[in-house]
Amino acid sequence: MAFIEIENLRYRYPKTERLALQGISLSIEKGSFLGIIGPNGAGKSTLGSAIIGLVPQFYKGAYGGHVSVGGKDAATVPVSEIARSVGLVFQNPFNQLSGAKDRVYDEVCFGMQNFGIPSDEMRRRADETLELMGISAFRDRNPFDLSGGQMQRVAIASILVLRPEVIILDEPTSQLDPAGSEEVFRAVEKLTESGITIIMIEQKIDKIAEYSDRILLMDEGRAIAIGTPDEILSRPDLEEHGIIPPAPARISRALSFALPDGTFPATQEAAVTLMEGRVGFRKDEKKGEAQASAEELLRTEDLSFSYTEGNEVLHGISLAFDGRPTAIIGQNGAGKTTLAKLMKGLLKPVSGRILLRGRDIAGNTAASLAGDIGYVFQNPDDQIFKAKVADEVMFGPLNIGMSEKEARKKAMEALEMVHLASAADRNPYDLDLHERKMVALASVIAMETSVLILDEPTIAQDDRGKTMISGIIKELAARVTLVISILHDMDLVASSFRRVIAMAHGRVLADGSPEEVFSKEEVLSEAGLELPHTAALAKKLGAEDILLSDASFLAAAFRV
Amino acid sequence: MTGKSIFRTKFDVASIVLIPACIGINYIGKLFASALKLPLWLDSIGTCIGACLGGPIIGGICGAANNLIYGLTTGDSITLIYALTSLFIGFFVGIMARAGFMKTFPKAIITSLVAGAVAIIISTPLNIIFWGGQTGNVWGDAVFAASQAASLPLWLSSLFDEIIVDVPDKIITLILVFVILKALPDKLTALYDAADEVERLD
Amino acid sequence: MRSISLYRDNGTWLCRVHPFTKLAYILAVILVPLLLGSLWAYAAAIVLDICILISGKSLRRARALIIFSFTIIVTIFLIRGLFDADNITPAFSLGPVVFYQEGLMKALRTGAVIINMLLSFSILVLTSKPEDIADELERHGFSPRLSYVIASVFSIIPQMMGTMDTITDAQRSRGMETEGKLSQRMKAFIPLITPVVTTSLINTRERAIALEVRGFGSKGKRSYLSPWKKHRGDRAMTIVLLLSIAAAAAWRLASWLS
Ligand SMILES: Nc1ncnc2c1ncn2[C@@H]1O[C@H](COP(=O)(O)OP(=O)(O)OP(=O)(O)O)[C@@H](O)[C@H]1O
Ligand SMILES: Nc1ncnc2c1ncn2[C@@H]1O[C@H](COP(=O)(O)OP(=O)(O)OP(=O)(O)O)[C@@H](O)[C@H]1O
Ligand SMILES: [Mg+2]
Ligand SMILES: [Mg+2]
Repeated sequence: MAFIEIENLRYRYPKTERLALQGISLSIEKGSFLGIIGPNGAGKSTLGSAIIGLVPQFYKGAYGGHVSVGGKDAATVPVSEIARSVGLVFQNPFNQLSGAKDRVYDEVCFGMQNFGIPSDEMRRRADETLELMGISAFRDRNPFDLSGGQMQRVAIASILVLRPEVIILDEPTSQLDPAGSEEVFRAVEKLTESGITIIMIEQKIDKIAEYSDRILLMDEGRAIAIGTPDEILSRPDLEEHGIIPPAPARISRALSFALPDGTFPATQEAAVTLMEGRVGFRKDEKKGEAQASAEELLRTEDLSFSYTEGNEVLHGISLAFDGRPTAIIGQNGAGKTTLAKLMKGLLKPVSGRILLRGRDIAGNTAASLAGDIGYVFQNPDDQIFKAKVADEVMFGPLNIGMSEKEARKKAMEALEMVHLASAADRNPYDLDLHERKMVALASVIAMETSVLILDEPTIAQDDRGKTMISGIIKELAARVTLVISILHDMDLVASSFRRVIAMAHGRVLADGSPEEVFSKEEVLSEAGLELPHTAALAKKLGAEDILLSDASFLAAAFRV
Repeated sequence: MTGKSIFRTKFDVASIVLIPACIGINYIGKLFASALKLPLWLDSIGTCIGACLGGPIIGGICGAANNLIYGLTTGDSITLIYALTSLFIGFFVGIMARAGFMKTFPKAIITSLVAGAVAIIISTPLNIIFWGGQTGNVWGDAVFAASQAASLPLWLSSLFDEIIVDVPDKIITLILVFVILKALPDKLTALYDAADEVERLD
Repeated sequence: MRSISLYRDNGTWLCRVHPFTKLAYILAVILVPLLLGSLWAYAAAIVLDICILISGKSLRRARALIIFSFTIIVTIFLIRGLFDADNITPAFSLGPVVFYQEGLMKALRTGAVIINMLLSFSILVLTSKPEDIADELERHGFSPRLSYVIASVFSIIPQMMGTMDTITDAQRSRGMETEGKLSQRMKAFIPLITPVVTTSLINTRERAIALEVRGFGSKGKRSYLSPWKKHRGDRAMTIVLLLSIAAAAAWRLASWLS
């Protein structure tokens, strides 16, 4: 019998009607890497919680079927016992801290203390894992003062140190820069060699395809299919379940290169071995270069900032923003969120100035800028404070002087835009993370500011959500609003933005059209970035241009 | 609710983490009161919330732990003495809440009066024993001085002092608590419904 | 985010003394005068407190802790001295108002009790780290849940301050004026309290889950990063202190029986 056995698992959360899991049966072998994919609300996280026993022991509710982990019944054996053999990293890094420790190092050791690991062993593991996660530098920092990505690394580290036999990772790289998430995937894959079982819930289909042995496709609480990446990801009904196939599969299908068994390659290597030498690329003459549109909206001049004396996080940032939708990308801790908060007036620069339509904003309070500059926080829970979605979204419009009636109208329009009109009367905290993220977005859109700054809007969104967001960005751009977005999702950067700013270590490394920035290899590596998947494939196949979209790829590529 | 289920208490992790949160909330409340220069304590908001969510036992623990921890660590050792008061406030508010007296606004007011009464009954003797009957609150002590000047018995003037200080405080506190509880999401309150157990689907 | 704890490690011997020893001291220094019942005992106790604080280089910070109690003490003197029921023999008079001995003596006693209590506690408060107290309690067989509650209180309050800041940011970033004149900031304070409290409560749910999966409340034996570096005198001091309490109690009994 396999290490994890799930039989006809059914579960309903308290105070809800529909089953979150409707009859899942699954068995997972030791040392395997199982990827779980599916749209928002499919039940992925719930399944994860059921394996470690949080469902039903913590959440209560209604439970049916049977889950056994290494012979333990997950419904009855206390979670803290199962936790000895099963580790779970949650979706949202911002609230996984024990809350009893004020140093990253102690935080990471907390779990080991509960399990009585001897102190010298504890130190050895902690040092090792901090190193592995690239957070040794922060060991004495207060975990609550870290950037999103740094916090997520701490969350992963504090589970890894426990050395469980099974590790469930729920979108563990949602806040990490591309290089960082690559590292995490590599690190956990290495663990499988030592017999540790990995269960990875992800929206990053391309990565899941690269690393997992098997993929479970979930939708509406059901297990739709389980199989090899190639099988699952070349299913024709994938899009119906809200999943966009990975670039290699899309491209090879479009160019009709099938594998012997009729499936399409899900991974870059497979695609390359299949198509190498069998496709050529036309040289594209008219390079898409960034032509600055006329008037300039926002400008930063030699901007510097530090949270604590002596360690500056931004060093003299000078940027000018015109109407073009602009993406800010770069490694974790580069200073992206800090820059956004400065431009929003939430932080005051140590030196340098910020000009809005040529006017220095230093004099203004953040509130008085609210009508001009909108900012959507990286962590939606930092932004939501009302008990009703509608009130939350109306808060801004009312403050900038709209009438009750007008505010309600704007609010409803904004909620329509993010497909949450139906949730207007619910408590934001009863919504899921991806929905709360959308509420936060709507609450700023409703203010119709001329500048809109989005901080990692795609967190926790499935492909439908991402498509919706790129749609929204286009729509807003059409309303002559300046959209600035901080992103770790290179595909979205490529598809929806005309200008890209790459940051690292508090400096701007590159600034220009996506093609220009993505062609600078040294910048990509220094800023912990990578090429969008389509472009990466094209490059591997010998294309000289940076082919960012499937369209441009297919336009340039021809079979030989 | 049956008498038994009123006192039913879950000592699971959810209840344990509730306690420090409530103690923190007490502190924040006190902070607001002093920042806004209100003649109130507002230092039992958390205790009452803990009582409403976790029941009388958790409420009592929140109350007692609150005063003990602050007394022993923040230098405000006077509060140690009133651990007893906080304990009973938490306990009785918990009972009222479990008996459904936090469901509507008028009922919440009744609860606040109960809380006020408890505070008075427990605190007055403590005041007399330790401070010769005063509360240290300007308004209250003014009344105390007046009634002493009118040579009323000590316990009576001390009682007046307490009433002046604690009744308004508890009313405001429980109004706030009522508002806050209404704003809590189901996902949270579901954790503390002592009633529900896992229902089997097979 | 800075902690609300008043502990500072100023490297003096007092910081290395075990918290339990300090607790024993507090117990002794409060009970002994109570049992002996003479004002001189209180005087002695207060002097002792002050000496210890001086040798621990903490007297100045202790002053900050007791200063606020002076107003209370003054009012106690006024009210007792003027209106106390047992007042008979006038002590002195300021113009028309007459202060009486009996009342003033009572007030003096109450004042001594308060000062002594505040000083002795400040010794513990200023020189012991709450997290250490928590760890030590746990190591001496108290429930880890208790020590979690203590430790957590000290990190949760700065977190709530942080929450206040984030909510303020959320509000002003959507046009609510929170900066500027004092009155302005006062106004901004009121819509803050409910969100801060609700958010903190909501976080507890997530935190509970995080603790569950990190094995909190698992039965087995637990371990610690760093063992407590004991102070030589701890045992001896504790014994002396407890003995002194016993002695005082014995004396009190004797004086009753005789
Ligand atoms: N604590 C809860 N209380 C009530 N309903 C919940 C709770 N958590 C999740 N749900 C509901 O259960 C269903 C499955 O949620 P779950 O989080 O497992 O989906 P998911 O696949 O993880 O989605 P996502 O990709 O957004 O993480 C959803 O309809 C969600 O609204
Ligand atoms: N409140 C704070 N106090 C102290 N340092 C902070 C605070 N917030 C962020 N920092 C530090 O400032 C640097 C920049 O943080 P910032 O959040 O801007 O990075 P980021 O580019 O947004 O990273 P991420 O992509 O992970 O969100 C990081 O090194 C972070 O540790
Ligand atoms: Mg999920
Ligand atoms: Mg950030």
